[in-house]
Amino acid sequence: MKAFVTRRKRLAGVISVLAITASAIAAVSVTGAQARSGADELKGAGATFPAPLIAAWQQKYEAAKGVKISYNPIGSGGGISAISNKTVDFGASDAPMTPDQFSACGGCVELPWALSATAVMYNLPGLPNNLHITGPILAGIYLGQIKKWNDPKIKAVNKGVNLPSTDITPVYRSDSSGTSFNFTTYLNTVSPKWKSQVGRGTTVNWPAGVGARGSSGVSGVISRTEGAVGYADIAYALKNHLKFFSVQNRAKKFARPGLAGIQAAAQADRKFNPQSNELSIVNPPGSARFAKAYPICTYTYVILRTKSEKANLLKPFVTWALTTGQQYGRPVIFQPIPKYVVARGKATLKKVHQ
Amino acid sequence: MSANAPTADLFRTERMRRRRIVNAFVEIGATVAALLAVGVLVIVVGSVVKRGWGAINVDFFTKTPALYSGFGPRPESGIENAIIGTLIIIGLALLMALPVAVLTAIYLNELAPRKLAGVVTLAFDVLNGIPAIVLGIFVFVFVVVGHGQAAWKASFALAILMVPMIARSTQEVLALVPTSMREASLALGAAKWRTTLSVVLPQAVGGIVTGATLATARAAGETAPLLFTTALYGDALDFNPTHPLATIPMFIFTSAEQADPVQQQQAWGAAAVLIGMILVASLIARWFADRSIRRMKGER
Amino acid sequence: MSLAHERVPGPAAFQRRGRIRPGDALLYVVTLAAALSGVVLLALITREVLVEAWPAMQKFGLGFLTTQAWGDHNKTLFGAKSFIYGTAVTSLGALLLATPISLAIALFLSELAPRWIRRIVAPLVELLAAIPSVVLGLWGILVLGPFITGTLGPALHGSFGWLPIFASKPTVGSNMFAAILILTIMIVPIVSSICRELFVGVPQELKDGALALGATRWEVVRGVVFPYARAGIAAALILGLGRAVGEAIAVTQVIGNNVAIHTDLFKPGDTLASRIAGQYQGADTALQVASLVYLAVILLVFSLIANLAAQLIVRRVAGRHQIR
Repeated sequence: MKAFVTRRKRLAGVISVLAITASAIAAVSVTGAQARSGADELKGAGATFPAPLIAAWQQKYEAAKGVKISYNPIGSGGGISAISNKTVDFGASDAPMTPDQFSACGGCVELPWALSATAVMYNLPGLPNNLHITGPILAGIYLGQIKKWNDPKIKAVNKGVNLPSTDITPVYRSDSSGTSFNFTTYLNTVSPKWKSQVGRGTTVNWPAGVGARGSSGVSGVISRTEGAVGYADIAYALKNHLKFFSVQNRAKKFARPGLAGIQAAAQADRKFNPQSNELSIVNPPGSARFAKAYPICTYTYVILRTKSEKANLLKPFVTWALTTGQQYGRPVIFQPIPKYVVARGKATLKKVHQ
Repeated sequence: MSANAPTADLFRTERMRRRRIVNAFVEIGATVAALLAVGVLVIVVGSVVKRGWGAINVDFFTKTPALYSGFGPRPESGIENAIIGTLIIIGLALLMALPVAVLTAIYLNELAPRKLAGVVTLAFDVLNGIPAIVLGIFVFVFVVVGHGQAAWKASFALAILMVPMIARSTQEVLALVPTSMREASLALGAAKWRTTLSVVLPQAVGGIVTGATLATARAAGETAPLLFTTALYGDALDFNPTHPLATIPMFIFTSAEQADPVQQQQAWGAAAVLIGMILVASLIARWFADRSIRRMKGER
Repeated sequence: MSLAHERVPGPAAFQRRGRIRPGDALLYVVTLAAALSGVVLLALITREVLVEAWPAMQKFGLGFLTTQAWGDHNKTLFGAKSFIYGTAVTSLGALLLATPISLAIALFLSELAPRWIRRIVAPLVELLAAIPSVVLGLWGILVLGPFITGTLGPALHGSFGWLPIFASKPTVGSNMFAAILILTIMIVPIVSSICRELFVGVPQELKDGALALGATRWEVVRGVVFPYARAGIAAALILGLGRAVGEAIAVTQVIGNNVAIHTDLFKPGDTLASRIAGQYQGADTALQVASLVYLAVILLVFSLIANLAAQLIVRRVAGRHQIR
């Protein structure tokens, strides 16, 4: 009988330990829940392209207004699907949503809130920065036709540079990416072969090279791989000390992805798409006005639900981002958006309500 | 021939020598293979420790990732939110999985008619073999779409992973309990349920703990289900299981591909912490297993 | 496992003078519910995954399996051919490497090593199994990748470049070869621990008999242990294959995510699980999502077949070796 009583005591002991642990977890969670629900916060996810600017906004906005912004850079496609699935308060994408995506989203608006350039980065040790490259050469590289760095076409635009015989490894985004959308749109305009064989999109069937996740992933692969070339927002090239090309624009000048090049390109399109507010500034025309334009620039967009519980927090934040926030872009090479874009953004924002 | 002569040397014939060479070759090969496995382990764990050591300091455990912008050097930050998130998610998963697994094992071992037991066992074995990524998709489609990500949904996915493992090890240890014990209890007039809960189950506690700890260690390292259920996490400290929480595997996954060497070092550091947690759990499981085996054999 | 067959019989036995004890009935119901949850869950998983994949299955049909495309024609064309190829090459390649290594380790731990070595090495091999796949992927990106491009790749290409699988020198660390090596590291501990238990379970009398006949250790293994454990080894290999096929995270970190089909192992590729892991989060059209879940269906079908095959083999063997 004594053994039986001891067993029962032990079982009771085990059960009480479990009960205490379970209630402890529950108590902590509930306290945590109560503590969190008081805090003002906005949750966003999407493109990696504007992440450097959004990181600056996170700091400045919390300091100024006390609202915490959290942002997960999972790619433009991720941003579109997250806002459509209602898992975030705002989504970010460099690719404008298609009409199908708008209907799947079920009551969403999109507006441009930042402006920057897609740099084409390369890893060629010992060679200078800002080598020259043209659109057709880039298309040839990504089609897998131009395979070595000392290819005559590349040598032709880089006279006097001792290009090695290293193999070219094109790097692209393996996830659904607005930067891919921007880059492939550019390749479409400079290469009919690319347009017919591959086309443009956030995901395409890349004929050659390796994929990496996110702009950081692309930068990572390039930094580890000699002879690699890839595309990402210019801030990533600078942050990771990667060299990047001067790309030839339609005015036949080789332009760098700096604030001046972006500002010149921004004027290329002033006609907003009625549904997505898209402005396509890729490969501006060859007139004198665009002599300095960098040919692979893009606006990047924020996507909001028209009916959102957090509208009272979202609207001030987006308004701040469109106006005060733009000044924090310059250090990370985001050119402040033109006034007509700000005006359009504010007008679109009126559609968002609680 | 010479082999038939009673005084013939059995070992020095040509054929025998060849067989012995082949045998030696295989024995060496087997040793080399074992050394290779141990070598790879040492290399991998060694890399983790060597490269992650620099990231591990008090801040690593007490700070959350710093908000950082610009091109300067990244400030020191930590993975406190990821550690908390992992503990909460694994804890909840264990809470979900343990009762189901133990009850299933009791059913299969004590109560089930033969045919139904076969079907149930098959179902759980198949469940065990489903890739974690498919489980992630299932949980995403089942509870995440339209409702948002949450830590408890990640726990749900991990619990599905853990139940077959815990059930199997519980079953094994329940089977080890001598039938004589059950019969004695029943002979004394105890009901079946009383027998199971008070006589059989306490004997099996050691095995259950072992199985649960091993399953927890396995679940702690799974990343695929987390991608679908708790990927949109914030950088701040959060204890709320209805929010998506940061986790160590997701942290490693996103930090691994960065070009920034500081972030890479943090990835290694987080990997060291994760391996450390798993190692501790495995050692606990092994200690418990040894203890319960000794107990079964009658030694105390 | 003879005790398992001496189960106390089902509900009928609870009835004493026609009365079921409420406690027993409650226990039965509760445990039955828990047990059936597994069956229900399995059915639910299958249903949900099929329902989600249905739009793609309807649009592409079985041609999906033979189409090599992903996101073509303005994201209206998707196909699984590249990933089925990638999954086959990486898993079978890993299995090819892992089989001799696992068997050798199992032999070492069951037959050859003295007890004190066994006590040290066996836990170490198990620890290899405990390394999370994301950590192996991290190691693959930052350590194995550079090693392949810097040392191993050029060496293999130099000596065996005439083989189509090593036809080019690796230019980037993300390629199918890296994936094969990582998968090998993952399945060796699993297969070797199962095989080790199998070898230990071979009746000593059989081994002694062979030794008495003058066989060398290897001949005992080849003539007695392997044939006896043959079915179990097959089951272990199938389970290892299933693990390799289902691995998403480590593979997606090192394989390069390319849709082209190459025989050259130093080129990037992609597998079913890896593509799902890489793209699901960002799939922004309904068709892309459905296509990714279609990939999951293929994966599910394969893992079900592999699992059932392994179970079948094990059950047949258990039936055969019943006289114990």
